[in-house]
Amino acid sequence: MNDTLIEFKDFRLHFFTDEGVVKAVDGVDLVARRGKTLCVVGESGCGKSVMAQTSLRIVPKPGRIVSGSIIYTTKSGEVVDIATLDPKGTKIREIRGAEISMIFQEPMTSLSPMHTIGDQIGEVIMLHQKVNKKEARERVIHMLDRVRIPRPERLVDEYPFRLSGGMRQRAMIAMALSCNPSLLIADEPTTALDVTTQAQIIDLMQELQREYGMAIMFITHDLGVVAEIADDVAVMYLGRIVEYADVYTLFNAPKHPYTQALLSSVPKVTVERQPLEPIQGMVPNPFRRPRGCTFHPRCIKAMPVCKTLEPSLVQVGPTQVRCLLYEEQRVQSRLPAD
Amino acid sequence: METMEKTAGTTTASTSSDVLLEVRGLKMHFPIVRGIFGSSKGWVKAVDDVSFDVARGETLGLVGESGCGKTTVGRSIVRAYKPTGGIINYYGIGKEPVNLAEVEESELKAYRQDIRMIFQDPYSSLNPRMPVFEIVGEPLRNLFSMSRSEMEDRVREALVRVGLRPEYIRRYPHAFSGGERQRIGIARALVTNPKLVIADEAVSALDVSVRAQVLNLLENLRKDLNLTYLFVSHDLSVIRYICDRVVVMYVGKVVESAPVNDLYSTPKHPYTEALMSAVPIQNPALRSLETRIRLKGEIADPSNPPSGCYFHPRCRFAQERCKVEAPELRPIGKDRMVACHFAEDLSLKGAVMGHAAIL
Repeated sequence: MNDTLIEFKDFRLHFFTDEGVVKAVDGVDLVARRGKTLCVVGESGCGKSVMAQTSLRIVPKPGRIVSGSIIYTTKSGEVVDIATLDPKGTKIREIRGAEISMIFQEPMTSLSPMHTIGDQIGEVIMLHQKVNKKEARERVIHMLDRVRIPRPERLVDEYPFRLSGGMRQRAMIAMALSCNPSLLIADEPTTALDVTTQAQIIDLMQELQREYGMAIMFITHDLGVVAEIADDVAVMYLGRIVEYADVYTLFNAPKHPYTQALLSSVPKVTVERQPLEPIQGMVPNPFRRPRGCTFHPRCIKAMPVCKTLEPSLVQVGPTQVRCLLYEEQRVQSRLPAD
Repeated sequence: METMEKTAGTTTASTSSDVLLEVRGLKMHFPIVRGIFGSSKGWVKAVDDVSFDVARGETLGLVGESGCGKTTVGRSIVRAYKPTGGIINYYGIGKEPVNLAEVEESELKAYRQDIRMIFQDPYSSLNPRMPVFEIVGEPLRNLFSMSRSEMEDRVREALVRVGLRPEYIRRYPHAFSGGERQRIGIARALVTNPKLVIADEAVSALDVSVRAQVLNLLENLRKDLNLTYLFVSHDLSVIRYICDRVVVMYVGKVVESAPVNDLYSTPKHPYTEALMSAVPIQNPALRSLETRIRLKGEIADPSNPPSGCYFHPRCRFAQERCKVEAPELRPIGKDRMVACHFAEDLSLKGAVMGHAAIL
């Protein structure tokens, strides 16, 4: 069987607002491999969360898929293009929760305060599997135990507000994994947690990945977390992938000036005080994307040509990078972008 | 000073004349109120017997996880709360210290211009209905009787200082990005020419690329304006970058305090060690080493803390004594304090060690 579980092909999703078009995702090619962890990294507004939501077709209006496809292979071996599914249709409903599930940053806002933990997770199980209420409850307790929640048989009847942040995130993970999905999408799942709790949750996710074999698409802005869990890393900037490589290559030999700048602008716990090199300026207004390379106004290696010529994603060794520094030929001949 | 140091153990600045703020035995207990008659059902000891000094011109870090009381300490110093007990001696005005914990509400004005605060969330801490002029100028209006044109000059000056254009003075917060909003928050704190600035998670909500800009700005402002910072944060990387000395808190108490490089290279408290070990490091080669310390369980509940040392249920070195006897904060080595019975016997891993292992 093929290694590829889900593949984004030249995927574009734009938001058509009254003030103009926001190209949240603008031509992304990305692969999540079976049983592996793909990290999508970027700052706010780079489109990483929209990528995650798209996989479940839960992008809010006025977001619209403009082009491209999301090819997903189901457990039964069927190949579907998620991008063409009706977001309210039965097909995507079969996929949500059972094939692809998601956990979010703030577990308090994604769990219902009105229902017990057991009822909420049980609902997911009963929706996708032919089990009665009692069996579902047994399964919930089993799942809560799997995510190492203490005394699961008591906690199953508790409401979310009774749980700490770390425990709520564990409950979310239990819910997400309750139907044994092939892909778990985690959108900044540890950002709101304390460091020691974050470390526990990351350990837990890795342990569960080894046990259940699901692929993880991990959305984050924290490069430390990426270094800890990723197999593959895609760095996004303004709706595009600027660098895509395996985790070791990315950290040992970052190619794109944005990736390099991200790595050097973060204070490090292991290093004594030395001046930080901040990235100049800020993420541009999405309505006024810079021409040429969208990163050029902030790039310390920018060349005059970067203002007009759009870089394309090129292969440099094991890395795919979108930067004119690696496109000498095109820069010299000034070919138009493809 | 001498006698005070003896009774209330703390990290002391090198010479007493350098001290700007002296916190001794600070307590802030909140009642747990239930029912319509508001009867108290117990206390949350958010801050319980916390002592430290802040030296003039230094940046003191206050680090810990949520619920450790670090924010409450900061808020007690600006007197957003009236502390339950303890002393907050401020040496900024005149020769004699003033105990801020005892100052009457009506007398606080003089200190509110001297001690200012920067908040975490640049979105919720700025009033969306006020233009920048009002936001930054408000403290001037409240604390001084100042003419509008004079106020405008001061606001423009403050904006330039934090790297914003003075023309932005009529704009509203929604027109600014997160980083710019945080600069507005900093301008608001600086407009009264304070001596001490309490920064509560001042860069935590910012994107990584903007975070470095704001950290560098804060550092430059400190040098240019002779500011003293109390930097409250959960982020150990940021604390390491900006602080001279660090106080580590756990469930309302100080567990360790030390100069920044000493703390990170040779932590003396097992909690400090675990905290540093939990920070993800930007090096994928390190993950296979499995040298990480993972804490069991969760942070103790400050309304119902464990017996003895509050950290003992999670501590990998805990012994019988830790369950019954609460450790005092006591000196260990030069300029260092620790609250652990066995600090001398433990050899703990610092943040540098783990990194050096692969180099």
